[in-house]
Amino acid sequence: MKCKVCSREAKTQPQSEYCELHQKACENIQEKSEAWQKALNIEWKDYLNEIAKNQLTGIWAKEVAENLLSSKEEA
Amino acid sequence: MEKYTLIVTEKPDAAQRIAEALDKNGSPKKVRERNVPYFLADRDKPLVIVPALGHLYTVVPEGGSRNHYPIFNFKWAPRYLAEKGAGHVKTWIEVISKLAENADGFIDACDFDVEGAIIGYSLLKYACGNKENIATRMKYSTLTKAELEKSYEERMPHLDFGMIEAGRTRHEVDWLYGINISRALTVAANRYSGKYATLSSGRVQGPTLKFLVTRERSINSFVPTPYWSIQAQVEIQGETYFVDYQKKVIETKADADAAVEACPGRMGTIEKIEEKTMQVAPPVPFDLGSLQSEAYRLFGYTPWQTSSIAERLYLDALISYPRTSSQKLPPVINYKSILDGLSREPSYSKLASELLKRDALKPREGAKDDAAHPAVYPTGNRSQRALNTAERRIWDLVVRRFLAVFGEPGLKKSLKAVINVNGHHFYLHGRQILKEGWMKYYKPYLRTEEVTLPPIKEGEKVQLKRIAREDKFTQPPPRYNPNSLLKRMEREGIGTKATRADTIRTLYNRKYITGERITVTDLGLAVIQVLHLHAPQVISVKLTRDLEEKMERIQNNSEKRERILEETVNHLKPVLTELKKHEMTTGEALSNALKWAQMQERIIGECPNCHTGKLTILFSRRTKKRFIACTDYFTTGCKTTFPLPQRGTVKPTGRMCRGCGWSTLLVYLSGRRPWNLCFNPTCPSKEERRKRLEMQGLQQRG
Repeated sequence: MKCKVCSREAKTQPQSEYCELHQKACENIQEKSEAWQKALNIEWKDYLNEIAKNQLTGIWAKEVAENLLSSKEEA
Repeated sequence: MEKYTLIVTEKPDAAQRIAEALDKNGSPKKVRERNVPYFLADRDKPLVIVPALGHLYTVVPEGGSRNHYPIFNFKWAPRYLAEKGAGHVKTWIEVISKLAENADGFIDACDFDVEGAIIGYSLLKYACGNKENIATRMKYSTLTKAELEKSYEERMPHLDFGMIEAGRTRHEVDWLYGINISRALTVAANRYSGKYATLSSGRVQGPTLKFLVTRERSINSFVPTPYWSIQAQVEIQGETYFVDYQKKVIETKADADAAVEACPGRMGTIEKIEEKTMQVAPPVPFDLGSLQSEAYRLFGYTPWQTSSIAERLYLDALISYPRTSSQKLPPVINYKSILDGLSREPSYSKLASELLKRDALKPREGAKDDAAHPAVYPTGNRSQRALNTAERRIWDLVVRRFLAVFGEPGLKKSLKAVINVNGHHFYLHGRQILKEGWMKYYKPYLRTEEVTLPPIKEGEKVQLKRIAREDKFTQPPPRYNPNSLLKRMEREGIGTKATRADTIRTLYNRKYITGERITVTDLGLAVIQVLHLHAPQVISVKLTRDLEEKMERIQNNSEKRERILEETVNHLKPVLTELKKHEMTTGEALSNALKWAQMQERIIGECPNCHTGKLTILFSRRTKKRFIACTDYFTTGCKTTFPLPQRGTVKPTGRMCRGCGWSTLLVYLSGRRPWNLCFNPTCPSKEERRKRLEMQGLQQRG
């Protein structure tokens, strides 16, 4: 299976929708959400929007945030 | 023909300096044979001084085809047999061999380090016909007349075979790693895609690229978190000063707002004043690494730029041998005579004369030492030619650092006042230099910011003038630059002072990394991913560091070359088997990355019409011509195209046109200077240029 963001192979152990690089970025997004919630008291979607437009966010983290946002919209 | 002593040197400039220093009249005769220069000098007996051109011999594979690996058999052979474009080496070796026939004495006068040792040894062994055991060795750290004469008169009775053995082993081990891993990568990509592209990795290159990849991954998957800080100013005796809030990082916006709301317009009380006086010791002399760091900090020169500038200054006898690890200046270099020389240079005369008045001169020294050479220092000579800006800067830096190490410690005062404003604490800082000491000599290159405060006392009231909340985010780890990467390599103990800068350059040349603030390309990421999966040992820092230590032990005769070579082969065998086993999967990953890298090279910038696609350089199979087109042609049907010059090479510059803001290209045409091309047919700068040319034409006609 291919990564949902790029053309690399998705991680298999443990099973993931992302490749190794985007999976690490996804983990970082989840890990930092608590700090954002505490600091600004914002919702998950607003948090994703904030990091997707933040210039300091790494390119892979941005791609995952955008992917999570678009998946949510589609759902 | 009368017999003579043949002196071999590393480079033509060094040969000339040595010939001039050793000739009793100071005017040796320069001869050119088949374009190879050498010098005839007269001293106690006739001397012929002939230069090499760096390494004339190298390690080459014995047998096997170009795409074959593993390959463990090698020999030392002339460079022209192994490298394209090294044909001139053949003539060079032939001339040296001919000169050796009539010589009855041999002296190795190459630079006294591992590389110089191998250059001299291979010339004497291969070009001169096994003369390595009867040759003597000149050892010097500067190319000044006095030191060269001394090193000739007091020559070492034989070559430094420990150093030679260590150098040979380093070359051979690096060759074994380099050729096998590089071939494994290149062959894998070639077998998968059918296209040839050189891929490489090596004993030092692999771990260095791994540092960069690890950092790249952290930056690319970085998620910032918000935090706040407080910026405030107080007024004391009519002047305003910045103060720091008690907490540098405030984790929630609510806490930051609470602090800001509690203080505006309030008076504060100085609760406590802490004053500290501290001595600032002089800096230590430059070794190559610290010179490269300082030149990067001050002038932005990359490590290899500094290295080559310093090399030129050394060949001009203006500074000592720069490839040194030492931070020590032994008295034998004669501090007084160097300062005497510098006192004749107008810019340093006052400073040098001051030091000369001292009863005793004692430099501050660092911990690092190098058995072969002292730290980098100026010779005291004045330049015989006009130095360019870069050379002048590096020379000035070396001179001023040399003067500074003899300076007295400086004295600085720092003051910290704690101000209480409505229960919130702010810190006011002052800094002052009480005594310059060594800083006087190194002034242009110092980073000192003085903040002088008015006289204040505890209990005094001050007015808080301004307070504001600052919204901030945590920062990703900084990107490496060539200098910080070099420092990391030094800290990890991989590579040598002579090779680190070249390793970084190879990473750029292979297109694994790009930019001054280093970004790893997809190709660099793919190479490390493949090696991490199938050959993690060859990107291990520990392995590389262990090998460095073992090679150093060879120099002290406590380790054997054969044992290390055997260990290397045993280590490589399973690694290469594994890489061969996964040739198709590694080939696919590398080919895709190569394809992507080649495509990226052709991308010029955003399409000015659809703003979603990218303009890229394409080749038409039908017309066999190149042109610019939008990548969205196949998706949204954007038909933007622009013509391109059909001759020469065209590359995107990554810069925008000043006239219209479109991306620009650089056109390289043989025999012409490369020029910038804006491909926008309606660019206002083109119209201006057309009008200017018309005006010029009219004026000429008129």
